[in-house]
Amino acid sequence: MGDSQYSFSLTTFSPSGKLVQIEHALTAVGSGQTSLGIKASNGVVIATEKKLPSILVDEASVQKIQHLTPNIGVVYSGMGPDFRVLVRKSRKQAEQYNRLYKEPIPVTQLVRETATVMQEFTQSGGVRPFGVSLLVAGYDDKGPQLYQVDPSGSYFSWKASAMGKNVSNAKTFLEKRYTEDMELDDAIHTAILTLKEGFEGEISSKNIEIGKIGADKVFRVLTPAEIDDYLAEVEESAAATRRTGKIGNEEEESKMMTGGRNYTRLSIDSQKVSGSVCTPRWFFSRERGVKISPSHHLLICFHKR
Amino acid sequence: MSRGSGGGYDRHITIFSPEGRLFQVEYAFKAVKAAGITSIGVRGKDSVCVVTQKKVPDKLLDESSVSHLFPVTKYLGLLATGMTADSRSLVTQARNEAAEFRFQYGYEMPADILAKWIADKSQVYTQHAYMRPLGVGKFCTHFPTYLHIYTSTFAMVLGMDEERGPLLYKCDPAGHFYGHKATSAGMKEQEAINFLEKKMKENPAFTYDETVQTAISALQSVLQEDFKATEIEVGVVRADNPIFRCLETEEIEEHLTAISERD
Repeated sequence: MGDSQYSFSLTTFSPSGKLVQIEHALTAVGSGQTSLGIKASNGVVIATEKKLPSILVDEASVQKIQHLTPNIGVVYSGMGPDFRVLVRKSRKQAEQYNRLYKEPIPVTQLVRETATVMQEFTQSGGVRPFGVSLLVAGYDDKGPQLYQVDPSGSYFSWKASAMGKNVSNAKTFLEKRYTEDMELDDAIHTAILTLKEGFEGEISSKNIEIGKIGADKVFRVLTPAEIDDYLAEVEESAAATRRTGKIGNEEEESKMMTGGRNYTRLSIDSQKVSGSVCTPRWFFSRERGVKISPSHHLLICFHKR
Repeated sequence: MSRGSGGGYDRHITIFSPEGRLFQVEYAFKAVKAAGITSIGVRGKDSVCVVTQKKVPDKLLDESSVSHLFPVTKYLGLLATGMTADSRSLVTQARNEAAEFRFQYGYEMPADILAKWIADKSQVYTQHAYMRPLGVGKFCTHFPTYLHIYTSTFAMVLGMDEERGPLLYKCDPAGHFYGHKATSAGMKEQEAINFLEKKMKENPAFTYDETVQTAISALQSVLQEDFKATEIEVGVVRADNPIFRCLETEEIEEHLTAISERD
C-alpha cells in the first residue's frame, strides 16, 4: 500500500470531477499490446500478442499469460512490471483463501480481491494507479468465467473482450463472431482470427501466446507447437473460403459457412442497377435496407442469365 | 501542497502523464546513457560472456577499484551499466538476497530469479513516490526531495543453470526483464543491438571462444576503436567451469589477438 510519509493521494479529483491519473493509466493500457479473451460454452480462452523489443530476446524466457491458481489464468495489456506485482499479490490472496477455507478460491472472489488492490492504489498516499488491465479466465463450480479488471479497480464479467492497441476493431470483430453456444476450439480459432486482424507483420507461434481452460478445470498455456497447429487450421479454413469465393456460382456460395462466419445473401436484379453511380456497399444498404458497417466483408458475384 | 495532476508534476515523481507515460522512468533511462559506458552480453551454446568498457578518468585513480562487474555469488555475475553509486547499492542488496535464498531454499539462486528480484525492486520505485524528511531539530520541515528512480542502472545477470544451460538476463530501470541470446546496454545500446541482431540471426551456437570474441568485437565495432586489454572488462561463466570469473589481462589479450588475426 502507500508509503505513510506521503500522506496525501496522488490521484485527486479534477474540477470536472474526473480522476485524471486513472484516465492516464487507461491511456497507458490502450498503448499496450493487444490481448483478448472469449468465454465458450465449455471453457475460456485468453490470448495476447507477444511482440518483443528485439530478435535477440529469448522468447522462451517471456511468458505474459500467468497462472493465479491451477484453474485461473490471467493476461494483461499495459505495463509488464505492474502486472508482475498484481500476479504476486493475487497468488498470495488465493493461497490465503485456500488455507482458511480448505477449498480453491472461486473466480469471482479472486477477481474481487485483485480489483480491491488496484482500487487501493488509486486512493492511498504516495502511489500511482497500476498501468494494466487484466483479463482473468477461470473455471469453477459456476462454470467458465471471464472477467476484465481496469486500473480503477472496476471489474465486469464478459462473454468476450479485448484490450490494448487494437481494442475497437477487435471488439467489433468479436461482437460479430461471438455466439452463445461456441465451443472452446471455435473460440480459440476466433481468438486467433481476432488477433490476426490488427496484427503488424506475420503472425506465428513465436509472437502470440494463448491460454485456455476447459471442463477439466486446468488452466494451461499452449505450447508453440499447439499454437502452430491452430494457426494451420485457421489458415486452411481461410483458404477454403477464398477458394469457393472465387468460383462464384450459387451452390458454392451456400457452402461458405466455414470458420464460424455468417454470410447473408443479397440478390439484386441487374436491371435495377443501371444508371446509378454508387459503391456496391452503399447500393445494397439502400436497396435492401440492410445496415452494412465498414467491417462487413462483401463478396460480389455476378450471375449471367 | 504539491498535487500531481499532470500540472507539471508528472515530470517530478512517478505519476502518469496525460499520454500514459512515466517521465521519471524515461529520464532514468537517459541517465544511464549519460554515464558514457557501453556493455555487451552474449550467450553461447555452453557459456555466457559480458564485456564492458573500463574508463579510468584520472591517472591517479587505482584502476582495480574501477569496475562494473560484480560477483553476486560464486556462480552468479552482475554487470551494472549506469550510475555507479546505484550499481554498488544494488549489488550489495543482490548479494544479500542471493545469500538468503541459498540459506532458505538450500540451493543456489538461479540467474532468472535474481533478475526478477532486481526488476521487481525497480518496479516498486516506479509506482511509489517517496518523500524524504530533511532537517530534524531546528527546522523540522519536510523538504520535498523526490527520490529519483532507485536504480538508474541496467543490470545484466549471468549464470549457468543446471537444467537450462547458460542464462543471460537484462533488467532495466522500468522493471522489465527478459532472457537474451545477446544484448547491450549503455550509450551505444541501439547500435550494438543492431550489430548483434545480424550476428545472431541464424541462431548460431557459439563455442566459448566464439562467444567471447563476438562480444569483444561487437564492442570494438560499435565504438569504432581497437581496445587494449586494460581498457575493457570481461566476465564469463562456462559449463565446464560454472564459477563466475573476470578474465585476466593476459586472457583478454589472447582474445584480442585472435580477433585481429581473424580479420
